[in-house]
Amino acid sequence: MTYHAKTRRGATYELQRGYRRMMIPALLAVGIFAFVPLAGMFGLAFSDYHLIRGTNWDFGFKNFAKMLSDRRLMNSIYVMAALSFFGVAAQVIIGTAIAVGLQKITGKWRVGRVLFLLPYAVPHVAVALIWLSLFTPTLSPINAFFALFDVTIPAFLTSQNGAIFAIVVADTWTNFPFAMLIIMAALQGISPDLEEAAAIDGATRIKTFIFITLPLLVPALLMVTLFRFIDSLKHFPMIFVMTKGGPGRSSQATNYYAYIQTFGNENVAYGAAIAVMLFLMAALISYYVAKLNQRVTT
Amino acid sequence: MKHLRIAALAASLALAAPFSAVQATELNVVMFGMPYTNGLAKLAGDFEAQTGIKANIDVIGQDVFENRITLSFTGGTGDIDVVHTPVIQVQRWIKAGWLQPMTDLVSKDTTSDILAGPLGAYDVNGDQWALPFFAGVGLMSYREDLLKKAGAGVPQTWEEMLDVAAKIKTDDQAAIALRAVPGQGFNMFIFPMVMRAYGGSFFKDYVNGDLTPAINSPENVQALKVYTKLINDYGPAGAGNFNFAEVNAAAKNGQIAFAVEGTGIISQIVDPAKSKYADVTGIALPPGGPAGRSPAIGVHGMGIPASAKNAEASAKFIEWAVSAETVAKIAMSESFPDFTTSSVAENPDVVAKYAAIHPDFLKTRVAALDLAIGHYRPLIPEWPTLGLAIGESVNAAINGLMTAEEALEQAEADMRDILGQ
Repeated sequence: MTYHAKTRRGATYELQRGYRRMMIPALLAVGIFAFVPLAGMFGLAFSDYHLIRGTNWDFGFKNFAKMLSDRRLMNSIYVMAALSFFGVAAQVIIGTAIAVGLQKITGKWRVGRVLFLLPYAVPHVAVALIWLSLFTPTLSPINAFFALFDVTIPAFLTSQNGAIFAIVVADTWTNFPFAMLIIMAALQGISPDLEEAAAIDGATRIKTFIFITLPLLVPALLMVTLFRFIDSLKHFPMIFVMTKGGPGRSSQATNYYAYIQTFGNENVAYGAAIAVMLFLMAALISYYVAKLNQRVTT
Repeated sequence: MKHLRIAALAASLALAAPFSAVQATELNVVMFGMPYTNGLAKLAGDFEAQTGIKANIDVIGQDVFENRITLSFTGGTGDIDVVHTPVIQVQRWIKAGWLQPMTDLVSKDTTSDILAGPLGAYDVNGDQWALPFFAGVGLMSYREDLLKKAGAGVPQTWEEMLDVAAKIKTDDQAAIALRAVPGQGFNMFIFPMVMRAYGGSFFKDYVNGDLTPAINSPENVQALKVYTKLINDYGPAGAGNFNFAEVNAAAKNGQIAFAVEGTGIISQIVDPAKSKYADVTGIALPPGGPAGRSPAIGVHGMGIPASAKNAEASAKFIEWAVSAETVAKIAMSESFPDFTTSSVAENPDVVAKYAAIHPDFLKTRVAALDLAIGHYRPLIPEWPTLGLAIGESVNAAINGLMTAEEALEQAEADMRDILGQ
C-alpha cells in the first residue's frame, strides 16, 4: 500500500516537473517581449531622456509632478473618457441587439452572419480612411445625397464634439462585431427550455428577454465591456488618420498625447511617464472589473 | 542535446555567412513616398547594373517614416544606409547625432550640377550633410472661367484674394481651399506664406540670431484672421479639417476656384490627364502682401545615418540618385518637375513634357524659387516641435475654438516652453 502511494506521488512529481520545464519557453517569451519593454518604459518614465535637449540621466519624479499641472493631459483624459464611454456603450448595445436578432434567423440565411463580421476584419487604418472620406463634406456620398434635397449636413471634423462623435462612429463600426460574437456564443449557452417555460407562463417576448435572457447574459456583457474598455484606452489609428488630434488639440486622447510628447516634442521621458499612468489605470480598472465579474459568475 | 547544439551552431553559421558577405554589396535605402522616391525605387536595377551593389529601396508613408527612423537612429541599429532627409529635419538630426557628414565622400562634379540654394541648405557648420533631389515651392492655381464670370483678375495679394473670393463664393461654389490640419508639414507649410506677406515672423530677428518668439505679433494675428476667414467664409464645407489630399480633390472636382499648394499638388491640378478642369486652370505666384511675397519652400535630400556601416557605398548611391541621368529618367516617368539637378532643366524631353502639361508651369516655378527664402520655416533643431505646436493653435483658431489672439498667445507660450526660455 505504502509502496503504491510512493510511486504514484513520484510519478506525479515527475510529470509536474516535466510540465514546468515545458513552460520555460513560454515564460522566456513573455519575459523578454512583455517584461523587458515594460521595465524599460518604467525606467524612462523616471528619467530625463530627451532626444534633442540632451539627457543627463537624472532620475526622479519630475515627469509625474509635471503631469499634475499639465492642462493638455487633463484634456486628453477627458477625450479618452468620452471616446471610451460612448464607443464601448454603442458597441455593446449594437453588438447585443444584432446578436439577439441573428439568433432568431435559421436555415440557409444563417450565412448572412458573416456579413456582420466583415467590419471587424478591416484594418483600422483603412476603416479610418473610409470614415474620413465619409465625414469630409466635399468627398462624402452622404453629403452629396442630402444635397440633392437641399439639406446641409454639418461638418463633423471641425468641432470637438463632432470629431469625437466621428471617431466613436468609426470605432463602433469596426468593433461592434467583437461584442456580437461573444454575445452570440453566450446566447447559445442559454437553454431554450427557459424561454419556452416563460412563454407557457404567458410572458411576452420582451418580458422574456428582460427577465430571463438579459440576466443570464450579464457575465458575458461584463466580459465584453471589460475587453472593449481596455482596448479603447489604446485609441490611436482613428485619431491619427481622421483628425491628427484636431481641431486644435481637442481630439488628442491620452494615448495620442503620449505619442505627440514622444515623437513630436522629443520628450521621450514624459511620453513614457504618461504611458506608465495609462498602464496603471488600465491595470487597476481591469482588476476591479475582473473581481466584479467573479462575483457575478459565482 | 549535443545534436541540438551542433544544429544551432550550424544554423547560426548558415545565417551569418551570407550576411557578412552581403554587407558590402547591399544597401538599405529608406525613403518616404513622393513622385521622386517612387520613381527611384523602380530604377534600383540600374544602380546594381552600374556598380554591382544591390540597393533595397524601401518607400514608406511619411507618418510611418518618422517613427521608423527615430527608432532605428536612437537604437543605433545601423540598418539604414541612406535616409530621406527633409531640410526641415536636418539640423535636428545633426544635433541628435543621427547623421554623418558626406563632405569628403561626394565629388565636385556631382555637387556643381546641383542648384546652389537647396544644396546650401544642407551645409551646416561647414559640412555637407545631404544632397538635395527635390525643391518644392508654393504656387497658386486659379480657375480662369470662374474669375471671368466674377469679373475679377488674378489676386496679387491676400487682401485682393479676400475680395475676389467674396465675389466667387456662392452656395454651390467655394472659392478657395487651404491646408488646415495641424502639423509642421501640413498647415504650417502654407500658413507662413500669409504670415510673411503681412510682415510676420516666428522670431524677433532670426537672421541675426535673436530667437525670442514673436508669433504673437499684430502682423501674425492679422494674417491668421485672413487665413481663418478665407477657409471658413470662402472655403468648402468641412475645410477646417482639410489637408493637401482634400485640397487636391476639391480642386480636381471643381469645388474651388483657388488652391495655394506645393508644386506637387499644383502640377496635378493643371494636368489635363489628371483634372477635367485643367484646360481652364491657370498658374500664378501665391499672393503677397504689404511685406512682399514669400512662396513656401520645402527641400528634400538624401543623407547618410551616423550608424551606417559603409558610408562610401552610401555616398555612391546618393551621387547616382541625384545624377542628371537618373533624375531625368524620373522626371520623365513620374510627375516630378521639382528636381534640383540643374542640367536636367536643359534636357529637351523633360522641358517638352512639362510644357505640355501647362506652358506656364516651369516658368512660374523658377520665379517662385527665386522669391523663396531658405528659412521660410526656421532651420533650427526645435522647428518640428515648434511647428506642430503652432500648427495646433492655428487649427484651433480656424475651427473657432479660440480667437486668433488667444491662439497665437498660446502658440507663443508653447514656443517659450519648447525653447526652454
